[in-house]
Amino acid sequence: MRIQKVMLIFRKDWREISRNWQVILPIVVVPFMLSVLLPVLVVVLIPRLATMPGTSLNGLENVLQNLPKHVQDELVGMTDQQVMVYIVLLYFFAPFFLIIPLMASSVIASDSFAGEKERRTIEALLATPISDSELFLGKILVSFIPSMMITVISFIIYSTVVDLLSFTIFNGRLLLPNLVWILLIFGVAPTVALASIGLIVMISAKVKGFREAQQISGILLIPILVLVFGQVTGVIIFGPMLVTLLIGLFAIIDVVVFKIGVKLFKREEILSKLA
Amino acid sequence: MVSSIEAEGLTKMFGSLTAVDHLSFKVEEGEIFGLLGPNGAGKTTTVRMLACLISPSGGSAKVGGYDIIQDSLKVRQIVGILTENPSLYERLTAYENMDFFAEAYGLSNVQEKRNRIRELLEFFELWERRNDKVATFSKGMKQKLAIARALVHNPPILFLDEPTAGLDPESSKEVRDLIERLSRREKRTILLCTHRLEDAEKLCNRVMIINRGKSIIVGTPDELRDRITGQPTLQVTLMKLNQKIVEAVKKLDHVREISVDNSTSRLIITLDDVQSATPEVVRSIVYAGGMILSVNILRPSLEEAYLRLVKGE
Repeated sequence: MRIQKVMLIFRKDWREISRNWQVILPIVVVPFMLSVLLPVLVVVLIPRLATMPGTSLNGLENVLQNLPKHVQDELVGMTDQQVMVYIVLLYFFAPFFLIIPLMASSVIASDSFAGEKERRTIEALLATPISDSELFLGKILVSFIPSMMITVISFIIYSTVVDLLSFTIFNGRLLLPNLVWILLIFGVAPTVALASIGLIVMISAKVKGFREAQQISGILLIPILVLVFGQVTGVIIFGPMLVTLLIGLFAIIDVVVFKIGVKLFKREEILSKLA
Repeated sequence: MVSSIEAEGLTKMFGSLTAVDHLSFKVEEGEIFGLLGPNGAGKTTTVRMLACLISPSGGSAKVGGYDIIQDSLKVRQIVGILTENPSLYERLTAYENMDFFAEAYGLSNVQEKRNRIRELLEFFELWERRNDKVATFSKGMKQKLAIARALVHNPPILFLDEPTAGLDPESSKEVRDLIERLSRREKRTILLCTHRLEDAEKLCNRVMIINRGKSIIVGTPDELRDRITGQPTLQVTLMKLNQKIVEAVKKLDHVREISVDNSTSRLIITLDDVQSATPEVVRSIVYAGGMILSVNILRPSLEEAYLRLVKGE
């Protein structure tokens, strides 16, 4: 494996992808909404909700009761408003941040794998003396690195926004980063991104185009949505144990989808699917 | 002569479909060899096998002396390919496309790479547009850029798959002229796939007609015409035709057949060797008192020959 060839593919793909608004728009807008708009909305809306008669913590009571003891301990001594802000910003929004690597990697990988096939540029690429594995790794990296960079940048922005907003509410206490979020961003997010890329590689072998690949990859949103609803209803609460379990689970998924993906990513296979 | 390409019983199956069926041929160094056949004849599959993009189901081939199965990486290094589709990155500029492929083919010296790209883009008259995205190029320009890309690593062997497909007559001629220049000036071996007789006739030293994956016939365009349609005939148009003239021509040794069209005062004569026998025919007509208006050697077009062959299969 020649690393300069891998990086050549990476640079070429990134140059192409960065000029495609269909790819860039979602991977910029969604993280911005999640990392800036959401926390601002929460901090602006929660004090108003908390002061409205009959709303305060009533809706959250069931959720709070279901919280594990270690989380309930964290809430001791907090006002209603602080509890709401704390729970929503630190727990409810956590699974949303898995949407960023999932979405970014699936959009980029769809363009890199299925898009290259759709635009029929793959044949000239496969005719070069670049090996299948160099090509495969270059394309994986171009899907993975920018996705992770966006995830990490979004996390930094989110942490900054949350800390700025919570600074006054929590009398100078900074909420982020904490262990769970660090595990989430640097442990779960990469495994989610890789699972999404592996799935796209599998799908791209079968479908003709970028959109089709991306639509089918939407299936990966299901486990993430399960986590979102699990958190909101208090059934699943992110703690260090659960997050470590998630890393393990997605790592297993990664191994499976990549084994299949590598088998499908062969010159012969790709070209035989081209008319 | 050294063979640049040698295929022996090359076969490709897709499931139960035989796309290429025991194809054997040799292409000499510096030759333009045409693979001519209708769509679906197996031309692209043959090129894909020779360019090591897909592996053959049977048979073997050597390209530039390297085995396409054992030394696929070496083959890819010495071959430049123009695929059926230009296969260009439309969001990248012409220069960026060339730059990427130059590095992919191993041109790592920056100055050498720049010089080569400039030389090619100038040769193909695209240098002025080097910083424009390929998406803004016309079909003809894309095709020229794709040929330039195929040449970026200076390959001794070129595979050109339908180089004039989808181009207007003007661009087609331009591309044909370029290929001719490449062959003449740079002595590259070119394997040209086409379903266009015009391309085969004007460009190729030798042509192999294939249909349903099988080779039908191989030869120079002239040989193919002669072998498929028989010898050319001589057409003589006179001011006035009479029996004396017809008899005088019939007596000649080389005349095999003669047909007379009194309405146009025209004789159509089949000869053993039309080139050498023509002066004799003309002299006998003149001696018999005939006043000749025109003398033409009639060759059935390669198109007629080709259609007859492909349909007769």
